[in-house]
Amino acid sequence: MRPVPLPLLPTTVIGSYSVPDWLERLKTDYHRGRLSGTQLESVHEVAIKAAIKDQEIAGIDIVTDGELRRDNDIDYILSRLPGVQIDGPAKSFYYDYYQAEVVSGLPVDEPATVGLADDFEFARRQTGRLLKVSFTGPFSLSRRLHDRHYGGQRDLVLALARVLHSEAAGLAAVGATMIQIDEPFLAGYPDDVALAVEAINVVTKDVDAEWGLHVCYGNRYARPSWEGHYDFLFPAVLDANVDQLLLEFARKGYQDLEVVARGGWDRKLGLGVVDVKSRRVEPPELIESRIRRAADVLGPRNLIVNPDCGLRHLPADIARAKLGGMVAAGAAVRAELLLDAPAAAPVDASPVTVPAGSAAGDGTG
Amino acid sequence: MLVEVRPVARLRSPTPVDVAAALGPVFDGLAAGEVDLSRVRIVCDWLQYKNNFRNVVDVRALCPAPPTGLGPPARGEQVDGIEVAVDLRRAPDADLRALTAAALHLSTSDSPAGVPLEDWCAGSGSCIWDFNGLYWRALDRWEKATGRAYEQALPGGESDARNLAGVREIISALLDNCDRLDERRAFPDELYVLELGVGNGNQAKVWLDEFRRMDAARGTEYHRRLHYLMCDYSPYVLEMARATVADHLEHVSSFVLDATQPLAALSFLQYKVFLVYISNVYDNLPTDEVAHLGGRTYLNQVRAYLPHAAAGALADRVGAGATEVPAVLGKLLKLGPELASEAMPLQLPTVDDAVEFWRQAWAELRLAERYVPIGGLDLYQVAPDVDGEMLRPFLESGEDIRMHVNNGTVASFVDTLRLLHPYGKLISHDLFVTDVGAYRTGFKGPGKYEGSVVCWLNGPLLAHIGRRMGYDVQYAPFSHRTGTNIVTMTAQARD
Repeated sequence: MRPVPLPLLPTTVIGSYSVPDWLERLKTDYHRGRLSGTQLESVHEVAIKAAIKDQEIAGIDIVTDGELRRDNDIDYILSRLPGVQIDGPAKSFYYDYYQAEVVSGLPVDEPATVGLADDFEFARRQTGRLLKVSFTGPFSLSRRLHDRHYGGQRDLVLALARVLHSEAAGLAAVGATMIQIDEPFLAGYPDDVALAVEAINVVTKDVDAEWGLHVCYGNRYARPSWEGHYDFLFPAVLDANVDQLLLEFARKGYQDLEVVARGGWDRKLGLGVVDVKSRRVEPPELIESRIRRAADVLGPRNLIVNPDCGLRHLPADIARAKLGGMVAAGAAVRAELLLDAPAAAPVDASPVTVPAGSAAGDGTG
Repeated sequence: MLVEVRPVARLRSPTPVDVAAALGPVFDGLAAGEVDLSRVRIVCDWLQYKNNFRNVVDVRALCPAPPTGLGPPARGEQVDGIEVAVDLRRAPDADLRALTAAALHLSTSDSPAGVPLEDWCAGSGSCIWDFNGLYWRALDRWEKATGRAYEQALPGGESDARNLAGVREIISALLDNCDRLDERRAFPDELYVLELGVGNGNQAKVWLDEFRRMDAARGTEYHRRLHYLMCDYSPYVLEMARATVADHLEHVSSFVLDATQPLAALSFLQYKVFLVYISNVYDNLPTDEVAHLGGRTYLNQVRAYLPHAAAGALADRVGAGATEVPAVLGKLLKLGPELASEAMPLQLPTVDDAVEFWRQAWAELRLAERYVPIGGLDLYQVAPDVDGEMLRPFLESGEDIRMHVNNGTVASFVDTLRLLHPYGKLISHDLFVTDVGAYRTGFKGPGKYEGSVVCWLNGPLLAHIGRRMGYDVQYAPFSHRTGTNIVTMTAQARD
């Protein structure tokens, strides 16, 4: 675990960024055999550069590559794993899930095969900002993987965790300092939190990075897959070896802040302040009030300001506007807090520092 | 020259359609004119609607760019070609040579075929939908004038929504779903059921009676949590429907809403509705048509008009000149017969006069058509939040096609899907085309049905849009009545 120094109320995204219509069309064309993989990769690179630039212009402190190479939250990883068989690789929509099944053992203690480290290195060349890498966690991956080998959910989840551990180690080796695990399916299986946490700890074990865990109620096709409250996470999540917990609040309301406080979470909290399932752009004043409320309940020092979930389903202009509002609101509340802070206990407001090896710094890409 | 014969099944019917007899005079009529015959498409349809918007022969220009004026392409203005549309059903009784020559002449003439009621526009923007809206708002007036109720005019004499076996099947599936959620303690406090387009409320009554009975028979208590939401465009219709379901009012709420934007009134129900029921509503919502012809994509533009003779007769009825008829009609469409009669006592002294004027105008109304290129599919808006990219799979095959976009239906469908509970289901009985190829083998509207517009629905397009939103959309023939064109569409979340 290597906590990264951050300013007060740093802003970030969860992971995915707006997928333009034309990119959607080209991705689907690729799956129908009308575009080569080489051309699609070139398109991805251009789109990633633009996504990072959008985040920079919006003023986001911790950026991502927008996950624009990934068709969805599952397939990018599963389809690259030895031992996983994909049933019919053609898709009528790129966003559809593959039907995947594990037919032989997943690799154990072998080098990473998914390519997340390469993706990170490409993105790092494009920005001087702190760069976060996120990937779907072992529990959620297991929910879309038909098991024909392990014979039990726990064995499958832990096998996936070991594979993701190799990916994480590979990421850290090339300089990734902030890594996030997404568990979008967990809210649908609240009785399995302990297993999910056990697997998360396998992924993070001895990987020197600041770790985040994102749990939401699903964002498939921009609609929730589950409903409920975050009380299911506690106390199990306290055993997770992560530094940040990034949760969905803006769509559901902020009652669960008390759940988080009562549950004893004293590490960083990623506060969802804009609803990614709605195209309505929240005014900065509303976002400010959300941040203030969270600061009142949990204190400001450990808060991270972010959208509820990935921005994949929002048009780019809406995504930009939401991020802009989020950054403005964060800045306004930060300024208030700095004015109010007693001299004896200054709030850390230093800008994000880019850890050594985390960014090329020239930003030329 | 291309000749497209769409009603191919009728070539082998017991009384086969005689295409050869129809085409000869059309060729003669074309040859007599000055048109570049190499740029002519002849399209033969068989218009099953006795009342429709077309002449036996119509000529449509394929414009290379949106025309600068509102009339037909000016002399010297280039066109990509022309389409000559022939109705094979009426052809045997018509002088096709003369009609073709006349239509050809009109297509290049500065004087329109009749008295225009509007400027050129996409189909969904035409005043025919104002007529359609007035029909539903003033249904009682129309029914009084014709002496028969709307349901009696339907092919089976009643709406398919009232079919008892069909209703029981739907309720049974819903109750099973409730049981499954209840077992997982995931069943919410409220069981919302939504009906869009309630008509006289008979469907709602059948549904509510059966739900109460079946729930009691199973010993479950879901009826206690039931909220049945009746929605309709017309407050008058809703009042009638409320009277019909008087026995269930403690479980019924009613909302006046535009079926094309249910979320406007029901956004508080987002992701909460377990069953949405829509019967014979979609076929009655505004639509554009798009076409892919000769490798180029066009929007079909229309302009409603009254033939000169009809406009003259209507003008006589209101004691005005033919050119004043559109203004009188426009006011009538806006105000309805009662207020129009009050506002124009000289032209429409009684409400009955207003209704007759309306009905006569509707009977005579025609649509002129032309094709205008679409610059890029992303620039064409199918519905709010749905752009023309959704049309691409149907247009890019390279084959010529003309199909409905069903803009109003798409808007309604997309909005309604957002209301569905993750375990909810949308069921619609309507006239769905289930294979895009059907547009190449038959006429799918629009036609006139009493005072309303009827138009088949582009099922593959709706399925494609639904799929893009994460829903499985399935079509099956309506299984509870034989000899019907009605298809059942169901949509529910996947993954």
